Amino acid sequence: MVQIGLQFEMIRSELAEVVGDANISTTETDRLVYATDWFWLPQMWMDRGEQPRKPDYIVRPGSAEEVSAVLKIANVYRIPVIPWGGGSGSQGGALSVFGGIILDMKRINRILDIDEQSLTVTAQAGINGKQLEWAVNEKGLMLPHYPASANCATLGGYLAPRGTGTISTKYGKAEDLVLRMQVVLPDGHILRTPVVPQHAAGPDFFRLFLGSEGTLGVITEATMQLDYLPQARLLRAVLFDDLTQAIEAGRQIMTRRLDPFVIRLYDPQSTASRIRKILGYELEGAYMVLGFDGDPDLAALQEEKAMDIIGQFGAKDLGREPGEAWWKHRYDFYYPPQSLKLPWMYGTTETVTTYDKIERLYYAEKKAVEEGFADWDIDFIGHFSHWFHWGVMVYTRFIIKNPPEDAREAVRLHNRVWNTAMTAVMENGGMVNEHHGVGLKLSRYMQRQYGDAWPLLERIKKALDPNGIMNPGKVGFGF
Amino acid sequence: MDNLIATTENCRYCLMCRHVAPVGHVMHDEALTPHGIALVVASQRRGLLQWNKESVEILYSEPDAGNCRAHCVTDQPLPAAIAAVRAEVVRDGLAPTAAHDIHDRLQEARSLFGAFVPAKGESETVLFVGDEGHNLRPSTVEAALNLLAAAGVQALPVGIGLGSGYFASSAGFPSLAKALANQCIEEVRAAGARRVVVLSPKELFTFRQLYPERLGIDWPGDLELVDLASLLARAWTDRKFGLLPDASLAPATYVDPTHAVRVPERFDSARALCTALLGQPPDELFWRRHRAHPVGSTALQFTRPDIAERLTKGRLEDAVGRGAHTLICEDPATLHALEKHAPSFNLEVIGLYDALADAVR
Repeated sequence: MVQIGLQFEMIRSELAEVVGDANISTTETDRLVYATDWFWLPQMWMDRGEQPRKPDYIVRPGSAEEVSAVLKIANVYRIPVIPWGGGSGSQGGALSVFGGIILDMKRINRILDIDEQSLTVTAQAGINGKQLEWAVNEKGLMLPHYPASANCATLGGYLAPRGTGTISTKYGKAEDLVLRMQVVLPDGHILRTPVVPQHAAGPDFFRLFLGSEGTLGVITEATMQLDYLPQARLLRAVLFDDLTQAIEAGRQIMTRRLDPFVIRLYDPQSTASRIRKILGYELEGAYMVLGFDGDPDLAALQEEKAMDIIGQFGAKDLGREPGEAWWKHRYDFYYPPQSLKLPWMYGTTETVTTYDKIERLYYAEKKAVEEGFADWDIDFIGHFSHWFHWGVMVYTRFIIKNPPEDAREAVRLHNRVWNTAMTAVMENGGMVNEHHGVGLKLSRYMQRQYGDAWPLLERIKKALDPNGIMNPGKVGFGF
Repeated sequence: MDNLIATTENCRYCLMCRHVAPVGHVMHDEALTPHGIALVVASQRRGLLQWNKESVEILYSEPDAGNCRAHCVTDQPLPAAIAAVRAEVVRDGLAPTAAHDIHDRLQEARSLFGAFVPAKGESETVLFVGDEGHNLRPSTVEAALNLLAAAGVQALPVGIGLGSGYFASSAGFPSLAKALANQCIEEVRAAGARRVVVLSPKELFTFRQLYPERLGIDWPGDLELVDLASLLARAWTDRKFGLLPDASLAPATYVDPTHAVRVPERFDSARALCTALLGQPPDELFWRRHRAHPVGSTALQFTRPDIAERLTKGRLEDAVGRGAHTLICEDPATLHALEKHAPSFNLEVIGLYDALADAVR
């Protein structure tokens, strides 16, 4: 919906009354900057000199009450509202597909309480992840959610798409760390979820907002579980000849509850490309980084037991240095020019399923993508990085180094690759996503993913957001 | 210049320095982050927007304080790239009036903050005083010279009120910056110096990195550059001078000066001097050492005074949040900015060199 003329100015004036004139922008430059998040498609679109769809208003509320007032205005005029944290989402979840209001949450960024007895922090949703981590570190604590996006993402951005961090294998996903949230519903009603999530006092509506990506409300505050900074972090790397054996070794470590904080297993293609590029090791096989932390004696014992398992599969122990180097440089992969970057076409088709299906899924997707797009000399790489008691996530990626120069052709090819990958994933028992979220990119797969359960989600959406103003076009919901 | 500007292609979609970006932190505006400004530049080059008053205002909102680069593992010189783009905007006649004011004042007086006084005399060691030192906080210069003398170093003040080229470069006037750079070097040469003690971290960065990278001028290899805080900390450790610690000043909270992240080897020296003065280590701000935010003492004080004020107040809010009552810092420009707003935060500001000079036995 494009707001023009008098109506545009009227709405602007009303929004400015809520947040103050300094906290609203309708300039061309601001609107252009907010027209893309970290989704490849809009970045490519702009890279090729094409004008993106821009939001109409950038609004920076300073409190939950201001968020509420903005949503009430948006309901009156039926204007889309797109919550914006760090803009680091890779799924297009922060794109203003239908124009409307970008609700930049970064002014709502205070730490409200650090409870050193219960080990919790309560903070506003717009706080930067790394700044929050620094603050709790000063108390000898950590928020054990270490995503690659921590430098730029916000606390709300951790929760809204159900994010996962590097050490989730031990400490859980962001959704496992949150105890309580304040949420502004689409009609402007402000609520707090119960004081703790683990209880038997009725249904768990709390989780409805995790993964809703701003389509069911706006998270404005959260209480997160903390941990003590570990006394020891033991890291080492091992090399398997065979990916199958490496996955089985990882499964045994997890199902025997040896509690690694990280198992990062690179497939042979990633070992040969990314590990070589970033860490400088020329290796053939499947490179695995193993980490144990906490009490030094306990961590050492856990590592010893894990290495017994590793040894049964004939893996080569590369020692501590390659594991520690990986830990030190684990985010270097994301800095240009080392990161994947334009004009290449790339996408992360990460997925998760149970151990009995994961290998079949990985190879099925790999075959479908590699054979389907051989003419484009497509690369398919992956690593297994978030392990559970019951299964594992695989972070698969495709890369086309010479995609079409024409932006429209590039869109079509991009979507064909994604269709191929997601079809293989769903046909082999995987979820379309494990931690990047759905956004715009995966929205079209949600009905198929959920099957009989999808109408329930649609009914919930309709009940909470009857005017459909909240982040339309995302998570399978239209406008 | 084109090579520098190409950096914006890397930074336009990189968000990895967001957590330390000072202007983004205080303004909460995506367009005012390193990524945002790089995206604006990249978009202008693709015809998605034009340079006009509104977009140029964003271009001139980057502080040139080095925080993004200090945290970039691939060392992208984005501040230098932005300075190069500003030079294009100047060439096209689209730079803001405030930028031209910087140019005109430096062109005419070689100083932004007052007057330039040519040095007289010769000495093997000189103290490069700079524009802010002489014109904004002369007591600090006098204190620095006294401290050097106490440490057994007779230093001739040079560059008294002389702009080093930093502001000219930052505002998009590389030719003027080159002229000032050459004048600074000539001033030092004329004094027959072999060793140049530098009062401010800004000047240390400018001589060492900005000159070769942005202006193509190498600081002469036979002129040793020495940071004043590091020299004094060494001298104190070596017992070349004694101090009577002033416990009445403690507790005091140390403020890393603007540009501190560009010369990280100074972090410990400045703190060692604080410890010598106070008889105990200084308290610390949240935004300290490698993540130290600047105050508004960059060119923003002219091009975007609203942002400059927010940066300075941000540091004062940080101090209040840490329970501070007294702030301590060595850099004249940082002290000047802090002193302007500290009273409204009920904070006292102390010049480190001033207090050290008073405490010399």
